[in-house]
Amino acid sequence: MRSAASRISLAVVLLMLTAALAAPWLGRLGLMAPEAMDAQPYLPPGLDHWFGTDNFGRDVFARVVWGSRVALVVAVGSSALASLLGICLGALAGYFGGWIDGFLSRTFDVFLLIPTFFLVLLIVALFGASLPLTLLAIAITTWPRSARIMRAQVLTLRGRVYVQAARAAGASHLQALTQHVIPNGLGPIVTDGTLLMGLAVLTEASLSFLGLGDPDTVSWGLMIFDGQRQLRLAPWMSIFPGLAMLLLVAAFNLLGDGLGTSRLRRMRPRTTSAVPAAEPGLLAIEDLCVDYQTEAGLLHAVNGVSLRLERGDRIGIVGESGCGKSTLAAALMQILPANAAATQGRIRFDGNWLLHDGAIVTQGRSPAIDRLRWVRIAMIFQSAMNALNPVMTVRRQLIEAYRLHRPQSTRQDATARVETLFGLIGVPRDRLDAYPHELSGGMRQRVVIALSLLFEPDLVVADEPTTALDALIKDQILGEILALQRRMNLALILISHDMGAVAETCARIAVMYGGEIVETGPTEAVFAHPAHPYTRMLIDALPRLHGPVLAPRAAPAGGMGLACKFAPRCPGATEICRTQAPVSRNIGDRHEASCHHPLAEGGMS
Amino acid sequence: MRIWRTGLTRLLQVFPVLLVVVVLNFTLIHLAPGDISGLLAGESADPAYLAGVRAQYGLDQPYIVQLWRYIATVASGDLGLSFRTHQPVLWEVLQRTPATLLLVGTALTCSIVVGTTIGAWIARKPGGWLDQIISLVSISLFSIPVFWLGLMLILIFAVWNRWLPTSGMQTPGGPREGLAMVTDVLRHLVLPALTLAAAWVGQYVRLSRSAVQAVLAESYITTVRAIGFPERRVLLHYALRNALLPVITVFGLQLGLVLAGATLTETLFSWPGLGRLIYDAILARDTPVIMGAFVMMSFSVALASFATDIAYAALDPRVRF
Repeated sequence: MRSAASRISLAVVLLMLTAALAAPWLGRLGLMAPEAMDAQPYLPPGLDHWFGTDNFGRDVFARVVWGSRVALVVAVGSSALASLLGICLGALAGYFGGWIDGFLSRTFDVFLLIPTFFLVLLIVALFGASLPLTLLAIAITTWPRSARIMRAQVLTLRGRVYVQAARAAGASHLQALTQHVIPNGLGPIVTDGTLLMGLAVLTEASLSFLGLGDPDTVSWGLMIFDGQRQLRLAPWMSIFPGLAMLLLVAAFNLLGDGLGTSRLRRMRPRTTSAVPAAEPGLLAIEDLCVDYQTEAGLLHAVNGVSLRLERGDRIGIVGESGCGKSTLAAALMQILPANAAATQGRIRFDGNWLLHDGAIVTQGRSPAIDRLRWVRIAMIFQSAMNALNPVMTVRRQLIEAYRLHRPQSTRQDATARVETLFGLIGVPRDRLDAYPHELSGGMRQRVVIALSLLFEPDLVVADEPTTALDALIKDQILGEILALQRRMNLALILISHDMGAVAETCARIAVMYGGEIVETGPTEAVFAHPAHPYTRMLIDALPRLHGPVLAPRAAPAGGMGLACKFAPRCPGATEICRTQAPVSRNIGDRHEASCHHPLAEGGMS
Repeated sequence: MRIWRTGLTRLLQVFPVLLVVVVLNFTLIHLAPGDISGLLAGESADPAYLAGVRAQYGLDQPYIVQLWRYIATVASGDLGLSFRTHQPVLWEVLQRTPATLLLVGTALTCSIVVGTTIGAWIARKPGGWLDQIISLVSISLFSIPVFWLGLMLILIFAVWNRWLPTSGMQTPGGPREGLAMVTDVLRHLVLPALTLAAAWVGQYVRLSRSAVQAVLAESYITTVRAIGFPERRVLLHYALRNALLPVITVFGLQLGLVLAGATLTETLFSWPGLGRLIYDAILARDTPVIMGAFVMMSFSVALASFATDIAYAALDPRVRF
């Protein structure tokens, strides 16, 4: 009920409902009787007759108001009937499962395929035109929709704890169903019921238009049916009832539509083309900030991160989910979602500015990074997250990527390159024509790695490349990444929540917490003498043979103001930690940490 | 191989639908007021023919025998004779099918192509002003009663401006061969096809918008963006292809509604198709034709649903039945 459209729709429905209910008493306020032939025929719309008069001199406005009664009766009646039938049968199928479910589900499928309109036509043609019959006929053919929804809802609800608890406490099946399951599954049924109301109004009107309407009622469909013969002389006879119907049905549809949508706020990144010459060095990220636009307001996901990398360097970025490490990678590659953007900071790559003072640097009409993409900077995604398109073969995806950046190359060149890479990383060549779902997790991850190495880039960003793989495969994949990194002398940024994976692979470590790098240094130094209490926690959380496991909890990203963000979770936090943000300070050789009370060297372990 | 097996199992599922429809048909005429033989043969049928119908369906036998005979008759392709024309219903229906196919085919092709393209385009910027306006217009489009929209188009294009013909498929006494005939038919096709297409454009805009939006949030789209594929190619080549899958499903499920719209449109524009046949049958209380049309419509819908499943299996390698 958030959007303006939903509110207006609700107002329209309520207004029509009021008018329909009040129609018999509106006569006292000057509304003409719908059948009164008091006026002159064929009067165009005017002050006396807002919607004009018809060929019998009846007031079209009065008839439209009275017509809303039929429309609403059909809408509410058939929708309620269909929902009721659907709820009962759907709940039975979902709750009891087994052969009952099998039989009922088949029945839903079959009834769903019966064309509503033609069955209604047949019923009305055989039994004569009458409103209750029409209503019933619409309900008979539309109930499987709500039945299917209810069944799915019950299937998920049935296993919930409170339902089990109610059964265990002695409630009968019927009680469990009616008191615990059905009320909790009603949401989507209401949505569908609203949409069904619109459909019912249209179906009834269509019948009337074919001359099968109940001749004793005043309905919009019948009005249009009469109006079409007078189209030349009195077009208003058909225009206004149609508009009324459009308004009501659109209101139902918008209501049903608005019951489940939320809106994503976008963030527009700034761009710039005027930048000074960039210093040498492979990659430098300086003071990068990235914000997300969320329902609750701005979220600072990355908050002043700086990072430097030379050819051949390997750096690991560790931190728990939500610490901003993947956002950092996405900002570097400029593939942030629409509700996120860099707001501050600079990124340069091998003498090219990519981001300058929070603005994306453009060359000509496209971002500067587009010339470096994949050829010089590539990325390894987590393959378990559908990093490959499920409906295309592996071959096609790799070859299309290759030919995008080598437009002159032939299909044979591309295939040869992909086969070489598959050889390097240990994917059998016959797997080229497989679809992603036909590969094992490890193979799929290897394909994603091969994809990133198509052009032997200078820098590879690996975002959680081994998450969701089992330990053995994880070690293999990490070993292969490391071997290829050495062989091609590429710079590697490995992003992971797994301290162990980073320790095995990277020469340097940067620990992220709450969007900031809280500690960075050579891997051995950080492991031997962690200075930040958070780093300590991460190291202690590594699986060991002895000792307790301390799993990190989710960190609140941003929004802490001046305090140290780790203070609420820090065992050694003092007053200063809660009032003043720490600055980065040197601990040892290229080893820095942002902490007011860095841990003593060789502290407890 | 996989497709063939899928196809066979799915084809077998068409029959329960037909069976239910035929049983429904027969039960309904049983429940209807009036003599069944009269409903099946026509009230003014001559006694000899009436007796023939009684014998054919075994109308003096118990209900279950009658039902069995009726099912057997329908299964052999015999849908009875039309009261009005004394032609077999099946023949009447088949004779009218090409005109309906032309109308529905044109309208659906237009609305699917236009609707999915627009929907995919506005999905890039959900919540933007363009998205909001187009969403509102498309909801309005499928909230319009199709016959009323047709009536309004007639008012604009034929009553106020005499630009296009509004009745039939060809000009009476007009050209019957060559390019002139094709142009004549096309001119007659414009308004009914536009009427029918308008409602479905709205549906397909909504569908492809939400489908493309869902696909754009997928990781493999992030991958192709990171690789550097231009936005237009990401949208049209990668996102739309995957988003078409749900659009196809809906096509199969909603053919019944499309045919209902076609019936109304044909009635309004006197288009000589199935819909018009049904309308004329209703006016003449020609029960065998109405029942036959119901069976044939259900058959088409079940067939469309079957075709949809096959198309889905062919397009999505993950599907296994």
